[in-house]
Amino acid sequence: MSDTAIEAPATVSARPRKPRMRLTTALAALGVVAFTIRAARESGWEWTSFITVWTNPLWQRFWPIDWDFVLDRNNVLEPLIETFQIAVVATVIGCVIAMPIGFLMSQLTSPNRPTFFVVRSVMNVIRAIPDLLLAVILVAAVSIGAFGGAIALTVFSTAVLVKLFSETIDSADPRPLEAALAAGGRHTAAVRAGVLPEVFPAYVAYSAYVFELNVRASVVIGLVGGGGIGRVIEAQRQFFRYDRILGILIIIFVIVAVIEQISDAIRRRVL
Amino acid sequence: MIEFDDVSVTYRGGVKALRNVSLTIDDGEFVVVVGLSGAGKSTLLRALNGLVPATSGSILVNGTEVVGAKGAELRRVRSGIGMIFQTFNLATRTTVMNNVLMGRLSRVPTWRSTFGLWPADDREAAFEALERVGIVDKAYVRASDLSGGQQQRVGIARALAQEPSVMLADEPVAALDPVTSHQVMGDLQRINRELGITTLINLHFLDLARAYGKRLIGLREGELVFDGDIADVDDDTFREIYGRAITPDDLLTVDPSGGHGGV
Repeated sequence: MSDTAIEAPATVSARPRKPRMRLTTALAALGVVAFTIRAARESGWEWTSFITVWTNPLWQRFWPIDWDFVLDRNNVLEPLIETFQIAVVATVIGCVIAMPIGFLMSQLTSPNRPTFFVVRSVMNVIRAIPDLLLAVILVAAVSIGAFGGAIALTVFSTAVLVKLFSETIDSADPRPLEAALAAGGRHTAAVRAGVLPEVFPAYVAYSAYVFELNVRASVVIGLVGGGGIGRVIEAQRQFFRYDRILGILIIIFVIVAVIEQISDAIRRRVL
Repeated sequence: MIEFDDVSVTYRGGVKALRNVSLTIDDGEFVVVVGLSGAGKSTLLRALNGLVPATSGSILVNGTEVVGAKGAELRRVRSGIGMIFQTFNLATRTTVMNNVLMGRLSRVPTWRSTFGLWPADDREAAFEALERVGIVDKAYVRASDLSGGQQQRVGIARALAQEPSVMLADEPVAALDPVTSHQVMGDLQRINRELGITTLINLHFLDLARAYGKRLIGLREGELVFDGDIADVDDDTFREIYGRAITPDDLLTVDPSGGHGGV
C-alpha cells in the first residue's frame, strides 16, 4: 500500500459547485406560502378547532350502533341493492357509449380533424359540470329516485371513460392500423381490426375502475334524491340518527373494499 | 404493370424523399430496391399504395392512377397491393387468424368485420394464405406469442389473403436473424414464382439482394441512380449507389448453408 496508488490525472478539472436554487423557484415557493397564510386567515382557520371539534356532543350520537335498524332487510339491504343496480346500469351503458366516442376523440383514430375537435369540445364541457350538480339537475328533470340518479351516473361514467380510453388510444401502436389501411380497409373497419385489439385490455381495466367509482358515487347521488342507500342516509341524518348512519357506513365500507379488490384483480389480469 | 412517371415526394418540412423518379415494372417481376437509409426506398414503396402521397408525377398500377386517388378508388387500388413491413405491424394482442383476415377487409362490409362475422369464403382464403407460408397450425394463437420469423410469415399471409397482383416488402428481414431472413426471402421468392405476383422489396443487405433479386433498383438521395439486371452488378455498382465503400455492415454474410458468403 502506498499513497501513490491512486494517481491524479495530469489535468484536473475543478469540481463544480452545487448550483444555487433558482430565483424564480424561490419566489414561487414564497408566493405559495404567502397565499396560503392569507387564505387561511380569511377562511377563519383555527388550529384549536382540531381539538374542540371532538368536544361536540354530536359524536355521542354515533354510538352505540343501532344494529337492529341496520340489519333490517327493508331499511338497508333493499336500498343497497338499488344503489348497486344504479351503479351496474350506469357503468354498462356508460362504457358501451364511451367506446365509439373514445375512438372519435383520439387523434390516431378520429376520421377527420373537425370530428375530433367537436367531440373533444363537447366532452370537455360535459366533464366540466360537477357530477353532483348534474345529479341534482337530472333528478329534478327526470324524477326523484333511482332513474334520475342512474342517468346522472351514466353521463358521468361515459365522460370519465372516454377521457381515459381516448388517451390510451393516443398512445397505441399506429402500425397495425397502417397495415389495415394498406390492405384497402375502410377507416372504421381498419380501426376495429388494427387498433381495438391493442387497446381492449385497457378498456376492460378502465371499465372496472369506473364501476368502482360508480359504486361510491351512487351513494353520494342518493343524498341529492338519486335513490338507493344515499336516500336512507339523508333521511337518518335529518333525524340526527348518526348511530344508524355509522352502521350503514361500515357496511358500505365493506362492500366498496370487496369491489375494489375485484376490480384490482381484473386490472392486474388484463393489463 | 407499374409505371412511375416523373414522381417526386416532398415531405412536410421540405425534405425531398423522391426526385423525378421514372420507371416501369412488368407483371411478375421480382425487383430489389437498395440504397442507404434515407435514400427514399420506403417512400418509393409507400407512394405506390398511397400511404405517402406523391407530390407530383403519375403512378399507374394496372392502369389506375394512384396519385391523387381518394376514398373508394384508393381503397380499391390498395386492395390489389399487399404490403409487408419491417416490424411486421401485427395486432399483437389478437389471434393470427384475425391478423390475416385484415387482408380481407376491403371485400367485406364494415359491420361484418366489426362483429367478427366473416363469410366462409374469406376465412377459407385466410387459411389458404396461412398454409402457403406454413403456419396454419398457429391460426388461433395470439400473434405476440410467435417468434419474429413466424410473425413475419403472418405478415406475408395477411398480404397474400388480399389475393394481390403486387407485393411490397419494406425491409422485410431487417428485424430478423440471418437464418430466418433467408427463410422469409425464400418464401417471397417462391410466392413470386408460383403466383406470379409482381414483387418489390427494399433491402439494405447487398448479399441478400444479390442472392434473391433479379432486377436491381438503386436509390441515392431520392434519385434513381441504377436500374438493371442484378447479374450485371458488381461492387463498383454498389459503391456508386451508396456513395461510399462497402462495409461488413452492408452484408448479412451468412448463407443458408451456414458458411460465410461475400458479395
